[in-house]
Amino acid sequence: MSQDFPEALVRVDTFSSAVWYRGKRGRYLIEGSRCGACGRVYFPPRKGLLCPACHERRMESHVCADRGEVVAHVKDDLGFPAWGYGDDLPRRMVVVRLDDGAHVLGDVVDVGPEEEVGAGLRVRAVFRKHRREDTGAWVYGFRFVPDREGGA
Amino acid sequence: MGKTFRKVMMLGGAVTPPSIPMDWTWRELATEAYCLALDAAGVKPREVDLACVAYNDRTIVDSSIGPQVADALALAPKPVLVTSSACAGNGVASWAAWNAIASGRCDIVVSLGFARSDNYDAMEAMNSEGNYCDYDYLMGLTHINYGGLRDDYYRRKYGATIEDAARWVHQCHWFARRNPLAAEYSKPMPSLEELSADTPEAERQRQATNRGGVASAFVLCGEEIAGRFTDKPVQFDVAYAYRPPYMGNFNDWPVEGLRGFDMAELSGLMVAAKEAYAMAGVTAADAGVCQVHDLTAFEGFMAIEALGLAPLGKGADYVRSGGMALGSKCPVNTYGGGPAFGHGSVGCDFQAGVIENFLQLRGECGERQVDGARVGVNSSYGTHHSLDVAGVVQRRW
Repeated sequence: MSQDFPEALVRVDTFSSAVWYRGKRGRYLIEGSRCGACGRVYFPPRKGLLCPACHERRMESHVCADRGEVVAHVKDDLGFPAWGYGDDLPRRMVVVRLDDGAHVLGDVVDVGPEEEVGAGLRVRAVFRKHRREDTGAWVYGFRFVPDREGGA
Repeated sequence: MGKTFRKVMMLGGAVTPPSIPMDWTWRELATEAYCLALDAAGVKPREVDLACVAYNDRTIVDSSIGPQVADALALAPKPVLVTSSACAGNGVASWAAWNAIASGRCDIVVSLGFARSDNYDAMEAMNSEGNYCDYDYLMGLTHINYGGLRDDYYRRKYGATIEDAARWVHQCHWFARRNPLAAEYSKPMPSLEELSADTPEAERQRQATNRGGVASAFVLCGEEIAGRFTDKPVQFDVAYAYRPPYMGNFNDWPVEGLRGFDMAELSGLMVAAKEAYAMAGVTAADAGVCQVHDLTAFEGFMAIEALGLAPLGKGADYVRSGGMALGSKCPVNTYGGGPAFGHGSVGCDFQAGVIENFLQLRGECGERQVDGARVGVNSSYGTHHSLDVAGVVQRRW
């Protein structure tokens, strides 16, 4: 304990989105894991965990592909959005199969209200603001936009 | 699977009615279900050896609740085993109860679940958190989004339609109008046309309704003891299985039983059902009545497929051909299902199905009674099928 940090335990335990999210590279880079033994790619990351395929514990950081294809889509228009996400409805929620095989959940932005978002749409990941917390801190993370340039 | 020393019999059970007053504490709620179940089973409180209890740790502020439950149920110093494992947690509690009896350690055990989802907003039980919070809910994905994405994938893979979903929900409502315990029991019956509309309002109607505060309990005992309490014992068997919590990982997860399946199949339920059937010594073809926990109709199709009542992708055909209704070989959701009995979360989502099947085998279901069923099967899940539970009951008289 020091003069700068008189209540060290309180500081560590107190919820802070800024501190918490700093450790979540998966939310920014779609950083998952790759098994150093069998090569299987995982998302969300499995740092320090066992590989379900080979049961080795040799996970390495792996930045997933930033492009992929929508395999499932639903318009979030039933009126029960997640906290902090109610200002931009309806959102276009998707499951994307990335080009390296990982399946990632997210939403597609930069599309018009009548624009088709459905299975087969090519998308690419972008880094965007998500929402503002009560603390005032912005939560950032990946979202998807249509990959109008095409290509993998 | 290890050696079991005796079969496990069910003596009775109960679910609390809808509209439990908001001022009831979780202790009152749990105790109500416990007492109703003991009454139904003809068992006295002092005869109970153990209570296995599931609760929703998001909705009460008390922690480490084992001693508190033991105190509320006047069980202390006897043990209480507490589990928190999402909506199907009461199935996990029943699994623990089953083991306590099958192993011979306990003679009479109560499996109990309670949930106070109405302590939050009306949709709390379905909407509040994600499965893998850092990467879904905190990025804006709700439970409802999970269900919608899975339904979209299933519909395109297997060709099921909104009309198929409406048919499922309509049949659930038909049964619920004949079940006084159903949340929709006294409400106007929706029309098939109304349920078939492609609008957000109709989609909400095709999803589960929330029961609010609810608890359920049933009483299990060793086979040689059952005759002391009833001449109509019902054998109970249960199994459960996990999948990874993040839905993207439902696709070809690299382990035996889950490999080769994706978001359109309930591979965890297939694993659980296979084990439950084997323990019970029956097959899906023996089932004469079935209850599933369904927050959406497409999920209902997936559940009856995983339980083996219909081939994969053919759940909608089962309903179209009248398989769900009375008079079929195996009617489905006679309790009213998620859309009309209501989503009870940890309070009853698994146990409500077991109790309905128990009552069906004993011929105590009135206007919704199925004729001649000797075996009942049911399923429930938690966190969008990263936990799946399968139960089997069968007549033993």
